[in-house]
Amino acid sequence: MTRLIDVENLTLQFDTDEGRITAVDNVSFTLEAGEVMGLVGESGSGKSVTAKSLMKLNPSNAIYSDDTKVSLHLEDGSVDVMSLQTSTDLKVIRGGAISMIFQEPMASFAPAITIGDQMVEQLQIHTDMNTKRAKEFSIEMLDRVGISDASERFRQYAFELSGGMRQRAMIAMALSTKPKLLIADEPTTALDVTIQAQVIDLMKDLVKDFGMGIIFITHDLGVIAQTADKVAVMYLGRLVEQGLVRDVIRNPSHPYTKGLIAALPSLDDLDNPLTPIPGDIPSPLERPPGCVFSTRCSSIVGDICSSKIPSFSEVTKGHDVACHIYDEGASK
Amino acid sequence: MSDDVLIEARDLSVHYPLRGKNLFGPKPVVKAVESVNLDIAKGSFFGLVGESGSGKTTLGKALLQAAPISRGTVAYDDGDVKFDLTKLSNDELNEYRKRAQLIFQDPYAALSPRMTVRDIIAEPLEVMGLTSSREETDARVREIAEKCRLNLEHLRRFPHAFSGGQRQRISIARALVSNPQFVVADESVAALDVSIQADVLNLLKEIQQEMGLTFLFISHDLSVVAHICDHVAVMYLGRLVETAPTRELFENPRHPYTKALLSAIPSLDPDDTKQAQKLEGEIPSPTNQPSGCKFHTRCPYVKDICRSNEPVLQHSSGGHEVACHRWEELMTP
Amino acid sequence: MTDTTNTNALTDQKLKEAYFTASQGQLIWQRFKKNRSALIGAWVLIILVLSGVFAPFLTPYDATIAGRDKEYLNGAPQVPSFCDDNGCSLRPFIYTTERTRSIKTNFRWVTETDSSLEGRRYLTFFSEGTEYSLFGIKMDTHLFGVDKGFIHIFGTDSTGKDIYSRTLTAINTSMAVGTIGVFIAFVLALAIGGVAGYYGGWIDSSLQMITDTVRTIPSIPLFMALAAFIPDTWSAEMRFFFISMVLGLIGWPTLARRIRTHLLTERNQEYVLAAQLCGAKPSHIIRRHLLPSFTSYIIVDLVISFPYMVLSETALSFIGLGLKDPVNSLGVMLQNVTSADVLLNYQWYFIPVIFFIVLVLAFVFVGDGLRDAADPYSDNSK
Repeated sequence: MTRLIDVENLTLQFDTDEGRITAVDNVSFTLEAGEVMGLVGESGSGKSVTAKSLMKLNPSNAIYSDDTKVSLHLEDGSVDVMSLQTSTDLKVIRGGAISMIFQEPMASFAPAITIGDQMVEQLQIHTDMNTKRAKEFSIEMLDRVGISDASERFRQYAFELSGGMRQRAMIAMALSTKPKLLIADEPTTALDVTIQAQVIDLMKDLVKDFGMGIIFITHDLGVIAQTADKVAVMYLGRLVEQGLVRDVIRNPSHPYTKGLIAALPSLDDLDNPLTPIPGDIPSPLERPPGCVFSTRCSSIVGDICSSKIPSFSEVTKGHDVACHIYDEGASK
Repeated sequence: MSDDVLIEARDLSVHYPLRGKNLFGPKPVVKAVESVNLDIAKGSFFGLVGESGSGKTTLGKALLQAAPISRGTVAYDDGDVKFDLTKLSNDELNEYRKRAQLIFQDPYAALSPRMTVRDIIAEPLEVMGLTSSREETDARVREIAEKCRLNLEHLRRFPHAFSGGQRQRISIARALVSNPQFVVADESVAALDVSIQADVLNLLKEIQQEMGLTFLFISHDLSVVAHICDHVAVMYLGRLVETAPTRELFENPRHPYTKALLSAIPSLDPDDTKQAQKLEGEIPSPTNQPSGCKFHTRCPYVKDICRSNEPVLQHSSGGHEVACHRWEELMTP
Repeated sequence: MTDTTNTNALTDQKLKEAYFTASQGQLIWQRFKKNRSALIGAWVLIILVLSGVFAPFLTPYDATIAGRDKEYLNGAPQVPSFCDDNGCSLRPFIYTTERTRSIKTNFRWVTETDSSLEGRRYLTFFSEGTEYSLFGIKMDTHLFGVDKGFIHIFGTDSTGKDIYSRTLTAINTSMAVGTIGVFIAFVLALAIGGVAGYYGGWIDSSLQMITDTVRTIPSIPLFMALAAFIPDTWSAEMRFFFISMVLGLIGWPTLARRIRTHLLTERNQEYVLAAQLCGAKPSHIIRRHLLPSFTSYIIVDLVISFPYMVLSETALSFIGLGLKDPVNSLGVMLQNVTSADVLLNYQWYFIPVIFFIVLVLAFVFVGDGLRDAADPYSDNSK
């Protein structure tokens, strides 16, 4: 499989009225073509911000650290997205090599322009199709994502479609430029569960056909278990555990991941009471020194947890966890 | 009405008139809730599930007299007083309000940003005149705040100082301060992070058992309902399609919609290839409902009778009722 | 070392607690303070308003015809200096001027300045001058004056009235007109917009129609018509009140619309529904939930309406439909500036304009600052 994107030491801070807030701290991961990676975390985890950084879509008060490197490997060479400064440079990537779909499809479609017009516009920016060909292709894409009466829908406005259809239309629009990487930011969270199942199936199909990589951002571990090949768990801006979905879910190693799974109401286990993770997620203004999870962790090893940031240790091949419990020679 | 039933609804319907001219023929309405028969037992934690357009929120509001009841009866009997919710005088309505409360979904919009937490929790007591002095109000507020695990020192603070989970606990405290008998929780954990959800759910369960309350828990999340409720009712497009004790519903779902709903929930097991019954199509719009059984447009087992006749709730086994023409044939052996 | 960290932590704790227990008003004030331009605007506003209120004290002469200097018509500003060819002095001084006409000057009136030592006229402070009454107290002390004759630091106009005195009283008048106008507009807007917003439905629709109708009335023709109706026998003060009232009657639709929108949004908030579910009466809901919710917005709206009132009055008086002498306002002062003579030769007539630009800008900055400070208070959603 070809390597699609290499993210190294992604660190992002926001300059706000209340001071410098660290949103993402030293996150690194890779993605291959045709692979689906789940980025899991709760509020304040920095997952959305991380994904937007791949296209430098964050607001202007975002400050990336100097050693942040995002290498996008395209056919004609690799590009460090961080080095692209002007929006003209970035335009090629945004919507071209990388496409993004969002949680609220109503918010990403312009309300006063028909769906068809928006799709055609996107194609005209990124490809050299003429209007007629772009229109034909868009209708094909709408059909491909399972929208019935595609040519009818092409002429409709976003508000005329139901939630599930809007989401499919957004996927169609995102995929029409044949991106190498699709970033899906909570695409199914706002959908009914029966529609969610349809959209997930659709995305898996499309990965098979188009061979693109998907970064799937969500807080729902169940969706990840069914859709993703590998998963990365984030908490308060740091990556705490990553690995193959099978490994991480069957053998969660980080106390946060364990806590998350234990707190999930699962249909397979109706007898077990729900065990929440005690405490609250700290505000980004009050990031704990040392391990970011130390304020809520029930498996604290010692003072080291609140003073030193843990580095990654390998649990099994491909499965890494950042926790002092797994430090070499750590005593229980 | 049997002794241990708190709320009994028969043929409960909530219709909203549609704007639009229809000079001839009946006025168009949206049948948000249609013909619901429901028994909520005292002290139970009753779950109401459905997707969008199912009418679950409207039903919950109707049971609180916050949505207009167009047809049917709702009888409330807590051993102390008896009401027919469709025929309440103003005084009776005020009495009912003391006993039936609502916990909102959005922890950010449900608390007045300009009132201190103490005032927010105290408001029901003051409005309904349940206490006679400020000291008494304060004592009640502190009591309920403690039950909801709120830090008493934080009572002076304003809502903006709290996280989502804490705000939801304030909402709960406000709903409980008047010592109600019946509490409707409308998607009360939907806006919370998973790790906080579990905390709030446990709190609700604890309080329910301690105070002997009856809860109606409305949610779209079947997994949550499975863990916390003892009885579940499933709604689709304004109708009750199945109702059963929780265990029974999840182990033996009878209605095709319930079966589909259960299999649509993504399981945590990556190897689970439960492909059974992924539903096609969209949920019909409540303004343009199909004929006969409302589910027939998506049902994999549809037959002619489904298209023409609307099914009624039939008794299956101990507390388990289904509204489907073919449920007996489709029982998995 | 631990002591300082402890005290740091303690102050941190105190600050955090203060933030958590801060009411809305306090939070808005904190945010407002951080906005440099808004703060400067607020100070400028306070200074200008106070100079208007204390105008009789701050100015040496009566701003009306009664206080004019017959000897110094269309006179240039007399700026006090400390030093000149004849040496320096601690007290600032100006020169005596005299109007003469003789055959030498072709019988045209000419102003001659005597810049000798004898011609100096020294400034006096807290000097005695014409009597005036401030807040009902009769006083005759003025901030500054001159030992002999008159001093005109902004010059004079064609009848000899001191422009500086007139400027400060004009500020006072414009503020008064603005206040009355805004007050009347606010009362009307609160009543109409409030009822429309709270009840909604057909009441709202009909009130909206009325509001829109009033808003479409073209104001210039209306004022011309009204000006034609004002009897000449009315005193300047009555005229003043009448103009203010009319401004208020024209200005309420915008404010009413804002109030209505605020109420419509707030009314649907979940916390209002929560109160209703407890059986709260409308009066309780209005008092406890709705009014506090839009107090901050309404204050912003009022502050921003002010400059509009001031400018409307200026425009009207300028074209002669508003206030007239002896009531003094910027518009009145600008009534005579349209002749070429003034534009070419007597540019100091425009000094008051600078004051008014600053006044309006100050209002705008403060209003903007308030709005920025009030807005982010709406709850942080996830």
